[in-house]
Amino acid sequence: MKNKHLPFLGTLILGTLVLSACATGAGTGEDSTAPSADGDAVSNASMVTVYTGRHYGIEPVFAQFTADTGIEVRFTTGNDPELRERLIAEGANTPADVIMTADAANIELSAAAGVLASVDSDILTETIPAELRSDNNDWFSLSQRARVIIASTDRVENPPTTYAAVGNPEWQGKLCLRPSTHPYTQSLVASLIMAEGEERATEIVQSWVANDPLYIDSDTDIYKAIAAGECDIALANTYYLGRLLTEDPDFPVEIVWPEQDNRGAHVNVSTAAVTANAPNPEGALALIEWLATDGQRQFVDANFEYPADPNLAPSDMVAGFGEFTADLEAVRQLGDNQPAAVRVLSVTRYE
Amino acid sequence: MAIMNTNADASARANAAATAGDGPASRPSTTSVIGMRARSWSATAVISLVAVVLSVPLLVIGWSIIDPSTEVWQDLWATRLPGMIGETALLLVLVLAGTLVLGTALAWLVTAYQFPGRRILGWLLVTPLAIPGYVLGFVWLDTLQEPLGARGVRSIWMCAVVLTITLYPYVYLFARAAFREQSQRAIDVARSLGCSRRAAFWRVVLPMARPSLAAGVALVGMEVLTDIGTVRLFNVSTIADGVLRVWFGTGNRDAAAELALLLIGVTIVLIAAERLARGRARFTQSGSRAGLHVERLRGVRAAAASAIGWSAFTIAVALPLFRLITWSVEAQRTNQTATVSGDFGFHLASSLQVTAVATLACLGFGLLLVAGLNRRRAGASWLGRLATLGYTVPGPVVAIGVLITLASVDRLGWLPEGWLLVGSFVGLIYALVVRFLAVAYHGVEASIAKVSPSVVASARTLGAGRLRVATRIELPLAGAGIIAASVLVAIDTVKELPITLILRPFGIETLPVWVWQATSESLWVQAAVPSLAIVSVGMLLVAVLLWTLERGAETVS
Repeated sequence: MKNKHLPFLGTLILGTLVLSACATGAGTGEDSTAPSADGDAVSNASMVTVYTGRHYGIEPVFAQFTADTGIEVRFTTGNDPELRERLIAEGANTPADVIMTADAANIELSAAAGVLASVDSDILTETIPAELRSDNNDWFSLSQRARVIIASTDRVENPPTTYAAVGNPEWQGKLCLRPSTHPYTQSLVASLIMAEGEERATEIVQSWVANDPLYIDSDTDIYKAIAAGECDIALANTYYLGRLLTEDPDFPVEIVWPEQDNRGAHVNVSTAAVTANAPNPEGALALIEWLATDGQRQFVDANFEYPADPNLAPSDMVAGFGEFTADLEAVRQLGDNQPAAVRVLSVTRYE
Repeated sequence: MAIMNTNADASARANAAATAGDGPASRPSTTSVIGMRARSWSATAVISLVAVVLSVPLLVIGWSIIDPSTEVWQDLWATRLPGMIGETALLLVLVLAGTLVLGTALAWLVTAYQFPGRRILGWLLVTPLAIPGYVLGFVWLDTLQEPLGARGVRSIWMCAVVLTITLYPYVYLFARAAFREQSQRAIDVARSLGCSRRAAFWRVVLPMARPSLAAGVALVGMEVLTDIGTVRLFNVSTIADGVLRVWFGTGNRDAAAELALLLIGVTIVLIAAERLARGRARFTQSGSRAGLHVERLRGVRAAAASAIGWSAFTIAVALPLFRLITWSVEAQRTNQTATVSGDFGFHLASSLQVTAVATLACLGFGLLLVAGLNRRRAGASWLGRLATLGYTVPGPVVAIGVLITLASVDRLGWLPEGWLLVGSFVGLIYALVVRFLAVAYHGVEASIAKVSPSVVASARTLGAGRLRVATRIELPLAGAGIIAASVLVAIDTVKELPITLILRPFGIETLPVWVWQATSESLWVQAAVPSLAIVSVGMLLVAVLLWTLERGAETVS
């Protein structure tokens, strides 16, 4: 037949060969096949493997840890629930020593699945208050993140001061919320259920929905929507304001601390835990202890959050948001109440 | 010749490629060498095993139906499910209608009329294929936020518009191939019987192109049903979105899997509808290769035709590209052109490595299955369908199915000490093959079916052995279609996010992962550089695709 087709055929066959070679190579290569516990003792001892759902500004912190301790950090980023699924599926074979999440419910679900290890660390129990770690010390908060009411400084004189008041009809068409797919929304509702009971929480969420909120799946964009006049008030995490103020010190949005005469503002936490099957549990613990102590300042300030260590003051900018009472009691039960929260969000047709 | 020979399963898409090159097509040829054999039991067993291995992740998901989560379903039915079904249906109808009209109209414009810029537009109008929906989504979201307002832009209507301009090329490619293959004679006959040129289009040209259009639209439907990134940006709650909502909100894997099965059900309905639309029609045309007469437009009409084509290109490609470039320049200026994991080159290399290997793997398995599965046996046809089912489920669902499967294998401890499939390069490639095999499989199948049975028979009569016929005749003749199918796999892979995100090994951080890292923090400027890189690679691949199609059209006839 036509000779000019021969090169194609050749390429195809060659390609298939290369493919199999690649596949084999990949199967045996050190990079691509994660060594298990007793794979390579030397590199394991000096390396910690981390699955982290928190990825904003995390790398310089790990680099500092390596500089301080000589322990390398190998990490992979992802969404909290997906990393949890991976950890659960891997079971005893996981290469992960540490799992870090950006919210409490997700780490609780991991704990419930039995993939976290209880650790006995005086450093951690002394530094992290009891409300911010699990009963059996299988996970620890490393920073607090408050979800608060935010309001336009230009257009709002009397912002609501409770989560329930956000549902007042005066905010009809002026409210921005994050969709119910996001863990921050879910854990806020979980905290409402704890404080007010499921029935009352349903009414509150219903009143939010009745205000025909604009749903935006990004806290940064929610802040920007207020600045742009798309809405007057919203629920959002404070640290995004820190990022925005760094770019524009006159950003026209203020923080209103909710429930101050009551249980305090809803806080979620970013957490870390040693995995139950960690190949390098000592290294894992060393990393978490460092993040709670020597590395705490850098870890927390990289994202304008509140320290988990109560003896450490927040950074100057964050301190400028004002002092507040936080609903710390709820933190450890956010996970237990998340399914109820999802139910409430469904029933109320919260988008 | 038959216009279309779509085995209308999951991915008829690659047939756009196959039909664009032309050549006598028939039902999957019973006389071709590839696509028939594997008579020996051992070969059949091996190939069946491959098919089974590729379908396990979805069977794992499907297993959940054995023990239905009745309570969750009751809750869902009382709350979100009706809305999810409604929004999915509305979005589907809007995007199918939109892509059908836009794709067909543009294809007709560049096929039937001569006007300034026609040739270059014919090519450029395919290029939206290179832009991932999630990139186009965030670019338009940000761009239209000011004029339309944050509320106005986040609607099912805008979502439909964005999906339409991303996905219309599938219809366009099929329609253009169909129009090109039509003979002027049919139109002449229609006109001699008193039809106007317009009436001839509606009553002859369009009905004859119907099977191709249906195939294109079916693909668009599958893309819409499995989309997660774009619908979330625009607050549209589809069933695919619901799967992840249930899964990650409540940790209830079984209920989520059952919802995913509902999605597969919808897809099957869609495919059935496509078959119905195609009917039993096997349109054949006389051997004459006299194509349509191209009407030369002049003056205002020529200008209008140009304007229509260029506006479509501007909205779908040029404007978003302009935004991406401006942002990239800003990223350059503010030094945001690297990530924590590495520089631009590192991410590009990751992407190219994954894309190249996954594409070759899809092609290899596609060839193997087409060669090995005897489609005359019902069981084999089932295996083929099962092995390509991954294309009808959202990426994250495939990823979790693969994760569970590989982790179970790892637990068996059959591999040498210290080797694990989860988090390995092989594991990632396996997942991508499960997801995208359909594209390669159907492309290969359709291309090989197009090789004339008489050519194969002649060669056999002249004493050529089976292998010789396969390597010297069938593969070369089907070459253009096979390359085109591979390129489509590559375009899909280079844009792929959810599977890579969950299963990537350490040291592999593709461009879409970089985009995700930036967009999940709403850092659009940071997302611009990797987005632009994805689009550039995609554009190169689209160019190869078009080149293959043109070349195929010339040589195979």
